[in-house]
Amino acid sequence: MSSAEGVSGISVDVDHNPYLAEGTGTVDAIVSITAGHDVAGNPSGLAATTDRVEAIIIDCSKSMQSPIGKFDAAKRATAAAIDELVDGTYFTIIAGTEEAAAVYPADGWPTPASAATKAAAARAVDGLRPHGGTAMGTWLAHVRGIVVAHPGALIHAILLTDGKDEHETPEELGEEIGLSEGEFTCDCRGVGTDWQVDELRAISSALLGGVDIVADPADLADDFAAMMRTSMSKSMPNVTLRLWTPAGARVVFVKQVAPTVEDLTQRRVESGNQIGEYPLGSWGAEDRDYHVQVDVEPAAVGREKLAARVSVVAGDQVLGEGLVKAVWTADTALSAQISRRVAHYTGQAELAQAVQEGLSARKQGDIKTATAKLQRAVELAVESGNDGTAKLLKGVVEVDERTGTVRLRREVAAADEMALDARSTRTARVRKET
Amino acid sequence: MTAEDSTCPQCAADIARADRFCGSCGATLSEIRRVAVPRPGRYVDGPCADCGNDAHVDEYCTVCGHRRAEPDRDQAEVGGIVLITDRGLEHARNEDAAAAGTVAGNVPEPDSIAVAVCDGVSSSRDAHMAAVAASNAGVDAMLAALAASRNARSAILAGLADAANAAAATTNASTSPSCTYTAAVVVPTSAGAVQITVGNVGDSRAYWFPEPPAPPQQLTVDDSLAQELITAGASADSDAVQRGAHTLTRWLGADSEVKPWSDSNVHTITPAGRGWLLLCSDGLWNYLPDAADIARLCAGLDTAAAASVLVEYALDAGGQDNITVAIVPIGDFHEFG
Repeated sequence: MSSAEGVSGISVDVDHNPYLAEGTGTVDAIVSITAGHDVAGNPSGLAATTDRVEAIIIDCSKSMQSPIGKFDAAKRATAAAIDELVDGTYFTIIAGTEEAAAVYPADGWPTPASAATKAAAARAVDGLRPHGGTAMGTWLAHVRGIVVAHPGALIHAILLTDGKDEHETPEELGEEIGLSEGEFTCDCRGVGTDWQVDELRAISSALLGGVDIVADPADLADDFAAMMRTSMSKSMPNVTLRLWTPAGARVVFVKQVAPTVEDLTQRRVESGNQIGEYPLGSWGAEDRDYHVQVDVEPAAVGREKLAARVSVVAGDQVLGEGLVKAVWTADTALSAQISRRVAHYTGQAELAQAVQEGLSARKQGDIKTATAKLQRAVELAVESGNDGTAKLLKGVVEVDERTGTVRLRREVAAADEMALDARSTRTARVRKET
Repeated sequence: MTAEDSTCPQCAADIARADRFCGSCGATLSEIRRVAVPRPGRYVDGPCADCGNDAHVDEYCTVCGHRRAEPDRDQAEVGGIVLITDRGLEHARNEDAAAAGTVAGNVPEPDSIAVAVCDGVSSSRDAHMAAVAASNAGVDAMLAALAASRNARSAILAGLADAANAAAATTNASTSPSCTYTAAVVVPTSAGAVQITVGNVGDSRAYWFPEPPAPPQQLTVDDSLAQELITAGASADSDAVQRGAHTLTRWLGADSEVKPWSDSNVHTITPAGRGWLLLCSDGLWNYLPDAADIARLCAGLDTAAAASVLVEYALDAGGQDNITVAIVPIGDFHEFG
């Protein structure tokens, strides 16, 4: 493992088997990026005071009326999130229907949080009544329109819905998501079981946030408060992963693999000769793992090549760097070894895919495919120690303890299935090899 | 103070000519000098050998990513001792290493000398790490032992012990590098002659070349399958011996025996006159096994020229392996007869 620490103390660790067999050129590496509290609290090279902007979008469509108590819970959750705002954070509350409307401040422009503005916002939220339809693309467009006043800020949105995106086409939503990429990050929450996991995941994934189900409205307030606390802990906006590869190389994929699987390959922005940048969103004191696969031109046995240089960049500042080296050998005992962490995360990515494909097949009534995919998912979850996914899988399939064979449950609670789907990308970590 | 006495360089107390330590402050009164090859972190200047690009970052070409080449050869001298190590022609990198040093006493007696040559075992990953670690640790231990006491045999044994530990310490979870180790210690005797003690694990060799017409001789016995067969009575030309020529029976590294040497690996001679010592890896003696042939090749040359002639000979003969030679002139010796 090679390790490098930038001036700011962000560490970038590379874990891989550098040895390649003669004539081969595929290099797999797990790149672990860790920012400590000292770093996240005071990243050098960044403005001492980076603006924070928070937008909370609360679904005010008619369906929020039932069951009784759902909309009240959503309002309480919004108030709880407001309560977590650090003073000085610019914030705005948006009512989402087939259009987006400012709830607080009335003019829609984010205002700095203070005891007075937070109380006023909570009162405004309390007066909301459900009344319209659902067009999430317009909600994203609204956020995009108001954050232009805060270039370079940490901009985060929370989007709460209870239903499908009914009042615009999937293409319209897709276009709005595309336009919002890189403008702000967004965490999505679905309350109840009438919303679409795929739809919210499309938003949260593109906007580098998370998606989850809150099946019981009573749990919303705690969840919103936790989400806002996490957002308040971020200190570096628009962090990017810069990847240099040698001439003639092809980047096969770049995936975040922990804490969740997120394929970043298509997010590449060319930023120079042999250099591409991948957005990582905003960072606090946290660590994330990435799986990078690069095909390089093979070199002669005994030669060494740099297969990739991985830099973590904020603004113009390189915060940390790691080198992915490749050495060609005639010794197959060396080249055949697979890094334990590469193997583990390859399995975790396959697990997420097996769960999603299995659930999708199940919805379409393809029992055979669903059983096969979910069987594979159970095996992978158990083998890799992904207890969270293993437990969620048991809500959807029955596992014969003796043979390990899997059968689809006849009765599956919608909330269990959606939780499995929404959380399918969460990965188990493995200890770093030392 | 008489001309034969002096002062301690540390505390300026008066010291007698025979003192090894200052009686006042305890400082070692020997000056130690040492060198080692190949020196780390040396790279060939100029554009990338693979793509012609001019820029390197962290020693990697900024276009094609190839690691900048290290020089094929490194050479060092200390107290008249010449070390050369060369990658050869066939191996991708140099897994040999050598180190040498001298201990000067506080009296005008000849320096004591310690030399070690190691050959990384190619079948182990990162074998060069074992060779570098063992040669450095061995020479350091021998020099420290010589600074304390001019006892050649105990210095050789101290070097073997530290070299074995150092080679074993290069092991990690994924690899267990190993290497050969051949060392020589030269100490002046009270009678004005020298005592030479050699010790080896593996098949790197030491040869002694007295001034002609005395015959040159190989001082070490290889720890190889071929040598075991020859010792058991097989002909040196037999197929079995030829096949086993490079199969080591002992080596240094984590996967070796704890103490892979015995008394029979340590030999001492007390030559009457001047001469020179050669330590070398099998990259040389594969092509020049016979001491008489080596002596003929070096006739009329000084130490540096002789070392480089030997390396060139091995390269001309095919350079199949890494080549390392250490030449130690003994007793005011300047030119090969």
